[in-house]
Amino acid sequence: MSPVTAMYVAQAIHGLAYGMLLFLVASGLTLIFGMMGILNIAHASFFMLAGYLCFQFLAWTQNFWLSLLFAPICVGIIGILIERFLLRKVQAHGLGHIGELLLTLGLMLIIAEAVKAFWGTESLVIRIPGSLSGLVHFNGLEYPIYRLFIIGLSFVLLGILAFILFKTRLGMIVRAAVSDAQMVSALGINMPVVFMLVFGIGTWMAGVAGVAAAPLLTVFPGMADQMGMDAFVVVVVGGFGSLMGAFVVSFILGELNSYGVQFIPRLAPVLLFLFMAVVLSFKPTGFFGERE
Amino acid sequence: MSAKLKSIIIWAVVLVGLAIIPQVFGIVKTNTVVELGISAMFAVSLNLLLSFTGLLSFGHALFFGAGAYATALLLQNVNGFPLVPAVLAGGLAAAVIAAICSPLLVRVSGTAFAMLTMAFGQLMFVLCLKFREITGGEDGIAGFPIPPFKIPFLLSVDMTVPSNFYYFAISVLGLSILAMWFLTKTPFGSLMVGIRDNADRVDYLGFKLAPTKAIIFLISGFFAGIAGSIFALFQNVVSTDGVLHILVSFTPLMAVLVGGIGTFFGPILGSAVLLFVEEMSMAYTERVELVAGLVFVGIVLFLPGGFMYIYVQIKAKLAARSAGPAAMEKAS
Repeated sequence: MSPVTAMYVAQAIHGLAYGMLLFLVASGLTLIFGMMGILNIAHASFFMLAGYLCFQFLAWTQNFWLSLLFAPICVGIIGILIERFLLRKVQAHGLGHIGELLLTLGLMLIIAEAVKAFWGTESLVIRIPGSLSGLVHFNGLEYPIYRLFIIGLSFVLLGILAFILFKTRLGMIVRAAVSDAQMVSALGINMPVVFMLVFGIGTWMAGVAGVAAAPLLTVFPGMADQMGMDAFVVVVVGGFGSLMGAFVVSFILGELNSYGVQFIPRLAPVLLFLFMAVVLSFKPTGFFGERE
Repeated sequence: MSAKLKSIIIWAVVLVGLAIIPQVFGIVKTNTVVELGISAMFAVSLNLLLSFTGLLSFGHALFFGAGAYATALLLQNVNGFPLVPAVLAGGLAAAVIAAICSPLLVRVSGTAFAMLTMAFGQLMFVLCLKFREITGGEDGIAGFPIPPFKIPFLLSVDMTVPSNFYYFAISVLGLSILAMWFLTKTPFGSLMVGIRDNADRVDYLGFKLAPTKAIIFLISGFFAGIAGSIFALFQNVVSTDGVLHILVSFTPLMAVLVGGIGTFFGPILGSAVLLFVEEMSMAYTERVELVAGLVFVGIVLFLPGGFMYIYVQIKAKLAARSAGPAAMEKAS
């Protein structure tokens, strides 16, 4: 392989790695939105929170794998508690979706400030674990193992998620609830528990992405900003509530971002919004969405 | 006492109160009032969209920032550019940006509207960061000249004197808020409420929905731009973090919610409450935003009507008490 081709290929894998991380964050967001109608502004904050928890667990245990296991679980539990005790209360007010948006907005502010209060404003470096550091050599192409690990991890999670959604009873309920939650509830299924579970799983996935991304991005208070915006774009462009849409658009955005940075560095962030604007002006529901 | 006389007295008290603030409280408190005025006007302009048209904007900093940058750039690059046109240019720049965004925004509502406005706001933020030879990037534009307020052949007032600037800022902000207040009382204001309550019906009545929404958006953007322009003159610094950051979009939203959604004067009250919370917590902790966030979540959870709701409740109780005996007789 010539060096130029190698560069293109490396850039494509970079894009894939970022796209997959994005998908982990966005899939939870889109599922929660599809089922409950809640656009969780604080979703990316859970992503960041997991990064910080990972740093903390690392400081205690010195073991990346334990952090990868426990930090997302903690974040998921926090998500479940928030759904159970805060979101449900706001829903009872009848402010409509504005109330939920504002609550999650407030949570985002609180999480952003709380991490600063606990861990300070500096970037915290998390080292790539020994077994995953280094490069792979393949036919003249050198590529960091850790990014390949992220891609692998994402695909494993994607597989598990797809299995749950399409092959189990719970998945059937969730898919039905995405199209009509009230009807499912009328059929005698305990929807509040399902909501709680989905919210928990969604935040858990954001947490996994946060831990996986932590060694690459380093952990800092603005960690959630870029990922949060990108995840919203994915959900809007892919179509609210569509997992397939989230997957396709995450991939496209990842590549767009990767090649954009390569060729037009100054305008790379603009590409993302242009893409969204173009898609929405032709199809206001997004690629795979059925509603606005 | 007739209602008219009563309102005249209230207005007179408010005007005199605003006029004597620099003399009575000194310069620090006066500047706090200017700050309050700016955030109140910004919140009211957002509220035109949120409470009166039912559109939740997450990117209002776009207009605030456009106004601030337009004023700052004009004053920095054009020698001797006068004051009032500079402020108007801020508003117009914001309106132009609103016009550019509106073809996309009028097609959507609800959550998609919120996300699109947020995206446009972030886009502007990123562009201003990247094109640093124009905007100064993260450092922004600082120390541009503040021109005097001039009426040709009549007077020229130095705006670098804080108390003079106070009168100028308060008049611009007050008049803008009044203009928005009258706007909500016009037939066009009713049309806005109509769009909020039932857009389809407004459509069937023969009004053109998309252009109407675009005009509302333009007006709201224009006033937010004026607020940004005054902010630029007040601080003499314009930076991306100060006027375009997403938190700048969220502050007026919080003011609207804290004050009371669905009312005109709620945002002003909300801005005052938020400023008060900020000043109070500043004495005890460095994490002012954390306190503000907690207060905000508390209000969303426990007081969804905001502080205006308390006011309305008290007023209703008082009215019930004064009309008490008669009402009771009627009831029995």
